[in-house]
Amino acid sequence: MGFIEIHDLFKKYGKVVAVDHVWLEIERGEILTLLGPSGCGKTTTLRCIAGLERPDGGDVVIDGVPMFSQGFVPPSKRGIGMVFQNYAVWPHMRVFDNVAYGLKIARIPKGEIRRRVEETLELVGLKGLEHRYPTQLSGGQQQRVALARALARSPKVLLLDEPLSNLDAKLREKMRFEIKELVKRMGITTVYVTHDQAEAMVISDRVAIMNLGKIVQVAPPNEIYHRPATKFVADFIGVTNFIVGTLVELDRTRNIARMETNFGTLICRVVAPEAVSVGNKATAFIRPEDIVILNAHGGEENVFKGTITHRVYLGNILYFFVELGGASLRVQSLPVAPYAEGDSVFLYLAPQKCMIVQE
Amino acid sequence: MLKLEHVVKRGGAGRVFYLPSGFFRSEILLSLFLWAVVGLFILYPLFFLLLESFKIAETGRLGFQNYVDFFKDKYYLKTFANTLLLGLLVLATTTLLGLPLAYILARYRIRGKTVFIALTLLPIVLPAYAGAFAFIVFFGKWGTVNLLLMEWGIINAPLNFIYGLHGLVFIQSLHLLPFMVLSLLAGFTNIDPSLEEAAEVEGASSLRRFFTITLPLCTPSYLAGAVLVFLWPFTDWLTPLLLGQIDFLPSIAYINIAYHFTDVYRKYMGIVSVVVSGIICVGLFLTLRRWVERKKYTSLSKGTVLEGRTINPHLLGRIFAYVYLGFVAALVLIIPVVLGLSAFSRRWVFEPFPTYWTLENFRVIFWETPQLLKNSFRFSSIALLFGVVFGLAAAYLLARTRALGRNALDFVSTLLLVLPGIAIGVSYLMAFWKTIPIATHWIIMPLALFVRRTPYFLRMAHASYLQLDPSLEEASEVSGAGKLRTFFAISLPLLLKGIFVGVIMFFIMAFQEISTAVFLYRGGWETLPIGIYLNWHRGMEFGIAAAMAFFMVVLVFVLLLIAARIGGGILNVAWGAGGRRE
Repeated sequence: MGFIEIHDLFKKYGKVVAVDHVWLEIERGEILTLLGPSGCGKTTTLRCIAGLERPDGGDVVIDGVPMFSQGFVPPSKRGIGMVFQNYAVWPHMRVFDNVAYGLKIARIPKGEIRRRVEETLELVGLKGLEHRYPTQLSGGQQQRVALARALARSPKVLLLDEPLSNLDAKLREKMRFEIKELVKRMGITTVYVTHDQAEAMVISDRVAIMNLGKIVQVAPPNEIYHRPATKFVADFIGVTNFIVGTLVELDRTRNIARMETNFGTLICRVVAPEAVSVGNKATAFIRPEDIVILNAHGGEENVFKGTITHRVYLGNILYFFVELGGASLRVQSLPVAPYAEGDSVFLYLAPQKCMIVQE
Repeated sequence: MLKLEHVVKRGGAGRVFYLPSGFFRSEILLSLFLWAVVGLFILYPLFFLLLESFKIAETGRLGFQNYVDFFKDKYYLKTFANTLLLGLLVLATTTLLGLPLAYILARYRIRGKTVFIALTLLPIVLPAYAGAFAFIVFFGKWGTVNLLLMEWGIINAPLNFIYGLHGLVFIQSLHLLPFMVLSLLAGFTNIDPSLEEAAEVEGASSLRRFFTITLPLCTPSYLAGAVLVFLWPFTDWLTPLLLGQIDFLPSIAYINIAYHFTDVYRKYMGIVSVVVSGIICVGLFLTLRRWVERKKYTSLSKGTVLEGRTINPHLLGRIFAYVYLGFVAALVLIIPVVLGLSAFSRRWVFEPFPTYWTLENFRVIFWETPQLLKNSFRFSSIALLFGVVFGLAAAYLLARTRALGRNALDFVSTLLLVLPGIAIGVSYLMAFWKTIPIATHWIIMPLALFVRRTPYFLRMAHASYLQLDPSLEEASEVSGAGKLRTFFAISLPLLLKGIFVGVIMFFIMAFQEISTAVFLYRGGWETLPIGIYLNWHRGMEFGIAAAMAFFMVVLVFVLLLIAARIGGGILNVAWGAGGRRE
């Protein structure tokens, strides 16, 4: 049984369905990320966990206690900590008072409050700034105040709503690791909302991908990347080539299929055999780093001839765009690859890396 | 490809090459024009007034004698204290009445909110004297309420509802309530919802949240409204007079200057009263503005701010909300209703409601003495013309250039917003009498209206300008259009909505202006507000005064509807007029 359980959660605004019957379990001490494009319902789901939104159906159970079905438990009684997208640091209170706010409400003795505030501020690296007003802090520091405030009461659950989206790229990168380390050290069950896939990859134990109010896939980051459940996931995570063709042969025991494309016959792995059938259109995907450029063709399977149309240099890697029977494939290679625009090359699309996914 | 050498070479000559030539010259010319107007019609008369207040009557030299006399005279000290007390009482009343009102209007999701907002805000565009008249008729000694109460046998002798300090507090509070509500409304809606949600998550109850988060965050907005409210008694000379009170700074100043100009001592005490009121208004306003700007919280919040938090009130809250909103709306509605009753009747005395109905009053104002109406329309229109030309030019200078003195221009126009009308009236009377004799020509009337009301227009034009993305204009310039062409082809059409609302509000405010005009009019230059005042206060022609006031209320209401239609809602319009400064 999960520490947080989301049962058939449903929420709509007028006619727009924001959360469409979502089921989810989050383990104790786990960091789970809700990842998806804007408007996919991830923030609404998070706000339902917090109690800031009331769902139109379903329930959220935290540590065995239902939050909606047996009387509404208000946010103030849920024992959660939350970091908002815009920090929501109270501008009329000093850093100390911001962090101490929840502790004062919990009627914790003064000395104890002082000790815990100082401890938490030290934890987030804000020691010595207790008496500043938020307006005197940088964006990153305000972010840390918000984090300290959420952590000060040692909550059972920590909710983070795109907490890094207002920071600049460098700081964002750094904060990802800090947050992960901190939360893991304290062992708080964490739900993290973001639209940034790199952030989700770094920070989470598991990622829940959402689209159009539904959860599409829940899995650890590497599985999300290498075994996406649907075309949407494959497209949303990382850079992907899609190849469209007609399925001509399907081996259901080994989950291997043969697909007829514009540039020849492609052998692929099938991730969701129940979703495809012979004679129908199918879509395969392959990551740019899984395509290998060859000088010569030795007659192997899945090797095709193409022409390099663009060469894009990114410092640590090199992208080639290769035209292949009307399709353009992106190929990643080392910066030293000796090919130029206009060159004819052979591409090897390894069959086990070439996957047919659910539409 | 652009090579580095090219860039270096072009910039290397050390001249500014990224601005078209003539850019600065036109800017300077514009700035000079604006400052000439400001100098002649604002700074010069005010300086003249200040100088006059230091003039010692017997010797004609300058000195502090007048001020010493003023603050030594027990009567004037008492007047000063009275005015302060009135300000505090009005502030307390509007705060108590306004807090729940603004909270309901900002947060509660209830039906008919727009109507209630419109009704609550109506007094902002109604002249204060219209309200005073209506309340005297309704709550006066032999007014409707007293007569009804006596008829029903509840009381034997009339109660004194309004003659005295309490009545003054009541009438001024109702007039100023919209300013307070608007400020608080802005405060409540501008709070980023997540700030309150964060407190909720941290375990705060709703009451605690209100006092520790919502209210403190509202303080800057509240103070912006509070200062306007508090200063009003230093400006409003007419309401006390109508209620038979003269012991307030602006009222005694008016009486001293308008009726006792030949008594040198009273004249100078009047002038000093005006200057003291003016200094208090400007000084307090500036101090507070600086403080508020330093404390401004909204600048902190990042990310998207949705419309403020709203809640669905429970049944009890809903009932309370409707009763309260209905109560305030009823008070406001007394004004047009009572004015209407008086306007369409004659001989309404010692009866709770009129019994003799007639259109005679309107015949008098439309056919017998149409001069007043004509004057009002003519003066307001001319003032509007001046105002639009000056206001647009000034808004452009403030929003789009870095011309020297633009901050000072902004400062002066802000000063005018809080300077009592009586100060402008008196200073014009003196400054344009002998040295620059414009006061003998009727043009002084629209000029005074222009100076007094342009800041409202300028602020609206400026605000619209700030919302207009400069890149839209830059795109036009890059396409080859000059500054002037860009203004007429791009900026003006895009600003039109804001300007239109500004024009209507300007007209409304100019049409009902009396504080300045009352010092400057001569026989044949009377405007409608002056007609109302003379007919009511001096001539006891209640019916005619009421018909004039009723006509004005209807006109204002129609104009306001048009403005609301264009401006996208009554709130946007009122925010422009109510002194919100972003």
